[in-house]
Amino acid sequence: MFGLKLTAPAGILLAALLLVPTVLTVLYSVHDVPANGRSLGPFVGLENYTIVLSSNVFWRSAWVTSLFSIGFVIFSTLIGLAMAILLNQRFVGRGLARAMLIIPWATPWLVIGILWKWYADGSVGGLNAILLKLGIISDYHDFLSDPNSALALTVVAAVWRQASFAGILLLAGLQTLPDDLNEAASLDGANLWQRFTNITIPWLRPALITVTVLNIIYAFLQFDVIFAMTQGGPGDATQVLSILIYRQLFGVTQIGLGSALAVILGVIALVGGLLTVKILYRAERTHG
Amino acid sequence: MKTTDSAGKRGTGGLDRRAFLKAGGATALATIMAPAFAGRAQAAYSGTLDMLAWDFQPDTIKTLVAEWTAKGNPAVNVAVIPNLGYSPALQTRLRGGDAIDLYYNFAYNSQKFIDQGWAAKLNGLPGVDDMVADMFESARAAHVNAAGDIISAPYFSAVHMMHYNDRMLKEAGIAAAPQTLKEVYDASKILKDKKIVESPYVAYWVKEFCEEYLHTYLLNEGITAFDTAGKPVFADDAKTEGVFEWWQTMYQEGLAPKSVLSDDPGKLSNQMAQGDAAFFVLHHYFLSSIRSLGGKESANVMQGPIGGANHTFQIGEVLQLGEIGDEERRNAAWDLMKFYGWKDSAGKFTVFNQWAKAAGLAAPYPGFFKDPDVIAAFPDYYDLPLISKTFETGSKVVPARTLPWYPDFQAKVGDVVHALLLGQATPKKTVEDLTAAANSAQKGRSL
Repeated sequence: MFGLKLTAPAGILLAALLLVPTVLTVLYSVHDVPANGRSLGPFVGLENYTIVLSSNVFWRSAWVTSLFSIGFVIFSTLIGLAMAILLNQRFVGRGLARAMLIIPWATPWLVIGILWKWYADGSVGGLNAILLKLGIISDYHDFLSDPNSALALTVVAAVWRQASFAGILLLAGLQTLPDDLNEAASLDGANLWQRFTNITIPWLRPALITVTVLNIIYAFLQFDVIFAMTQGGPGDATQVLSILIYRQLFGVTQIGLGSALAVILGVIALVGGLLTVKILYRAERTHG
Repeated sequence: MKTTDSAGKRGTGGLDRRAFLKAGGATALATIMAPAFAGRAQAAYSGTLDMLAWDFQPDTIKTLVAEWTAKGNPAVNVAVIPNLGYSPALQTRLRGGDAIDLYYNFAYNSQKFIDQGWAAKLNGLPGVDDMVADMFESARAAHVNAAGDIISAPYFSAVHMMHYNDRMLKEAGIAAAPQTLKEVYDASKILKDKKIVESPYVAYWVKEFCEEYLHTYLLNEGITAFDTAGKPVFADDAKTEGVFEWWQTMYQEGLAPKSVLSDDPGKLSNQMAQGDAAFFVLHHYFLSSIRSLGGKESANVMQGPIGGANHTFQIGEVLQLGEIGDEERRNAAWDLMKFYGWKDSAGKFTVFNQWAKAAGLAAPYPGFFKDPDVIAAFPDYYDLPLISKTFETGSKVVPARTLPWYPDFQAKVGDVVHALLLGQATPKKTVEDLTAAANSAQKGRSL
């Protein structure tokens, strides 16, 4: 009873911040809620879900969200891992490099989006200047107006921030790896790759699971960077589900439809996260 | 002029002719000035009014409002939020129960806001009929709905015009500014082929703005996209497909830069000012931006009508009055609205004159263009009679834009038009998709 009392404030806070909005969203999703929100409006059952699931706009957006998420999760995890391994080595300026790792992570998503929009600008952006100098492109190109490159560029911008977050978590994991494990393996003749796959990765597996699950959730819920860079365009090339939800809820105030979309996205993110945990933990148990 | 209050009643007994005439003159004067005095008489409200605006020259907004307060009116708390995302922010505030007395709004949202109980009809408010009567006939449908309800007052108005670089045209051997779609295409080809400018034509083709261009170019071809009941009739006219063919060709052939799908108008103005573009279709007041940028080509940029017929789209964003229960407060807010969206207590276009000076914005009142102060406020490079004539007879507001389902259609146009420009849809498919978007918006819930 005493313990319950002690945890009550936190419980109430969690309920207010998570439970109430969740219940309200589910409730809205089965009503035709008027824009002014003065009533729930008529109960429509699963009609909003039917409208959403039978719409090409939804499926196209779900496809774009999947592409974005796959790129985001893979690259932010891998680059984060590479940065963590690099910063775990001894070299001059390591302290400064570790401090710099925090900078992208400390920058708000929206600011990252604005920065990258300018950086990728087709007339004055620095990205074009660098690619031109490297001989990768022959002329300035407007990447954000090109449906083939806009999504990729939003992934790059989001990864730029998220990789540093992954790097920080994985670096913390690497620092707990005893040096004598690698030394013993070296003495036994294991090369760098063998040590990486048989010692480093298994050791980091718990941290990697955490990082991957967080990255999946961040990927599905990503909004700020994409909105700042493209607002979902050109056309619907970068219209991920979160932008579609924003448009429905706040642009055209179709509260019921927007809520149904939000519930669907929530379920996708939840299932995606749970599946990842299950797969990765099973792999951990298999590898012992 | 319709008035509300007369100056107090007096008995007429015992008056001589002179006294009667004096009293009659005073009454006539009071009648003429009544809207002005009425405002102050009704502004018995002693609290503070709340006004919400987007962030175009916020200091000017505050100065103008302070000017109104200084005349013995209530203080006004002006909140300013960014233009980008203004509509979602405003709706979220109102949905959350924020009571805003007067706010800027996009015209296409105005009827929806009335229907949701977020904005009040202006019917019967003192002087409101005079305000409407004072407008260009072409502008009235933006503020008066099909049922005759007055739903908004103007914040500013503009007409879409063609901006062109006169020097470049002369260099290319083009004698007169092109007007029809074919003329603009041909001129753009010549300018590009002669390497005078790489991508001669720019338009503000971001998703949110495609709907305005839809009306601009359809009107230019003599097509009003929707009938008064809101039926999408653009599909019935073969010229609609022709407009879309032209858009797609301009973009696909590189006559417009690829970046126009995401460029903001500031960048487009700068391209005109620096000589990176030769044609720019947008609101007339963008000539001020282009000239004031002081680029190497700024002084060579001129303004002319779009299309030979000089039929273009008249736009304007609006002011709406919140649903205010307190009568004194409502009257005070309405007085502020009149000042901000029509005339001041002396019958002058004080606010509009300031916007004309600041940015070349216009007002949908014929009197605005005849006001010597306004004429003086517009820089010499504007052809004010042309703009006035365009308001009067050369432009339309498309009344369907204020219908309650319209914001849903507006939100869908960008995706469809971008697909066309990117070559992902044919002009024919674009007509079908836009018709479907209009129909589904009218039906209600749809993505």
